[in-house]
Amino acid sequence: MSDIIETRLPTGVKDFLPVKAAKLDYLQTTLRSIFRQWGFRPVAPAVLEDLAVLELGLGTDLREKTFRFDDRQTGRLVAFPPDITPQVARIAATRMREMPLPFRLCYDGRVLRHTEQRLGKDREIFQSGVELIGLDNPEADAEMIAMAVECLKAVGATEFTIDIGQVEFLRGILNDLPLDTAQALAVRTAIAAKDVSGLQQLLMKTSLTDQQREEVLALPRLYGGREVLARARKVITNTTSQQALDNLERTLELLAVYDIDEYITLDLGEMRGFDYHTGLIFQGFLTGFGRAVCAGGRYDGLTARYGFPAPATGFSFNLFNLLFALDRELDAQVKEGTDILLFASDHDKTPAQILATKLRSQGYSVARDIIDRDRPASLDYARRMHFRYLLVQHGKEEGLTLIRVADGQETSLTDEMIKAGHFEI
Amino acid sequence: MNDYLTFALPKGRIMQDSMELFAKIGITCPEMDDPGRKLVFENHADKLRFMAVRSQDVPTYVEQGCADIGVVGKDTLLEQEKDLYEPLDLQFGYCRLVVAEPKELRQDDDPAGWSNIRVASKYPNMTEKYFAAKGIQVEVIKLYGSIELAPLVGLTERIVDLVSTGGTMRENGLVEVETIAEVTSRLIVNRASLKTKHRRITRLIEDLEKVIEAGPRISE
Repeated sequence: MSDIIETRLPTGVKDFLPVKAAKLDYLQTTLRSIFRQWGFRPVAPAVLEDLAVLELGLGTDLREKTFRFDDRQTGRLVAFPPDITPQVARIAATRMREMPLPFRLCYDGRVLRHTEQRLGKDREIFQSGVELIGLDNPEADAEMIAMAVECLKAVGATEFTIDIGQVEFLRGILNDLPLDTAQALAVRTAIAAKDVSGLQQLLMKTSLTDQQREEVLALPRLYGGREVLARARKVITNTTSQQALDNLERTLELLAVYDIDEYITLDLGEMRGFDYHTGLIFQGFLTGFGRAVCAGGRYDGLTARYGFPAPATGFSFNLFNLLFALDRELDAQVKEGTDILLFASDHDKTPAQILATKLRSQGYSVARDIIDRDRPASLDYARRMHFRYLLVQHGKEEGLTLIRVADGQETSLTDEMIKAGHFEI
Repeated sequence: MNDYLTFALPKGRIMQDSMELFAKIGITCPEMDDPGRKLVFENHADKLRFMAVRSQDVPTYVEQGCADIGVVGKDTLLEQEKDLYEPLDLQFGYCRLVVAEPKELRQDDDPAGWSNIRVASKYPNMTEKYFAAKGIQVEVIKLYGSIELAPLVGLTERIVDLVSTGGTMRENGLVEVETIAEVTSRLIVNRASLKTKHRRITRLIEDLEKVIEAGPRISE
């Protein structure tokens, strides 16, 4: 046995061993199949981009978090994308612009982001998402939300919320306020934290009208169920916010057919995504898990940055967050290990190879125990490495024994029975 | 477990103040009357759980979702800048974060002329930000306690620390130069909890709003 060499990983990234990796694979496959059912076709963006090109599609926040380095071949700066959406926007705007709209595109892949070096923050994010490019009506927004709910149900989530916001509603209130840059930032920060008392103090030092003040101060409390819309209507007077509420109301009406009311909450004071998004936004939360597992919304200005103006909406799941939130639920979904470990006592391995091929063609997962060892040792290996059955092949014409690894129960079989598929595991 | 409402509270006086306030809106935990060395207390009937943690750790437990709700000083929130909601100022635990220096230094010192200074503090992040905004270069030496000692033994010329009554500083020959922030205890809420348990938490916030006493007060 060799010594263990110290091989630490950089913080914020992880390896996944078979059991966890199988769950990750399950999530990826399940989401992808739903994306396909809704008519979304996969795109696979490049893993490296020219920084200058990538940055066209990034807000300040993500720019600062981008991993970048020199390209030795050209001397230019290249970068690992911190988000796939701008890449899909670039592809749609440049490579697909001659095709008829709308585009329904999906993707999954890993992105990297610099984070502050503190506990529990991932630098690698596994995104799986969709982009719906070329539609500006509430039907498209409703489709995104309905899909997100369907995805969450499909991966086994039971208690969850899709929390909907509207950045145009915020813009109607916050744009054109008589605030300097520092004040505006402080006000946004306080709204994002739902810090009512902090907001009150900030506003005391400003020259807002009473109406403006009332609107701003209402924001941190405009969250909850559908009653939020009525409360918002009472407070606001500006047209932009009113139109945003109309849009939200229309989207909720369109969602009625999907019967997902119990999963919907509203938060009209949600500031996250304010810079990037242009209309309805949403995030998915699971009860008992502190972070959002999916996020999305409208981003009508993004493809224009690549020379092809088109309205667009989309969302993506954070698969690592989803995996940790649903870890236990996924135990039942992910079939444990491999079906059969084939143990041949004969020295001639040809029959074992033929048998394994036969079983695989019947749809079983099969591995042969190639190491020369006795049956108990093979059974022990099968148990530790998550095989469900040990199939013992005795010499020529002597038949087979199928042992259920979980309880050691044995069944005698013949080659004919296996060929005919007359056995059950 | 998910139908419980979990609170992270800082051990000590703030925990008492918090429980006294919560009692006014019917949130209690009889198990806490005999604390012993337990760190987690439950009220099974009302599905409430309380964790006693270090005050600096409260935001971490709440941000990560181990607790739905926490009580913590604004100083800790400003220092750590976690992604949390802080919907209520509970008004107790009042103190101020100040810049202080020895009385002798203060006599002919003009803060307007500072260009680079050395400061000892438990709050390196906030200290750096505060001075950076004023265009002053600052070298912060992070300490974990007895900050007042630093200028006495020449570790730094100045300190940034919390004062409530100012007694400790006076006794150690220090005087306040500037106030960086006024601090009170805040109710903080995990982002996902506010969404997924919004009825319960909204009611709690609204109930508390009615019983919080106006005006900040010092917790002795």
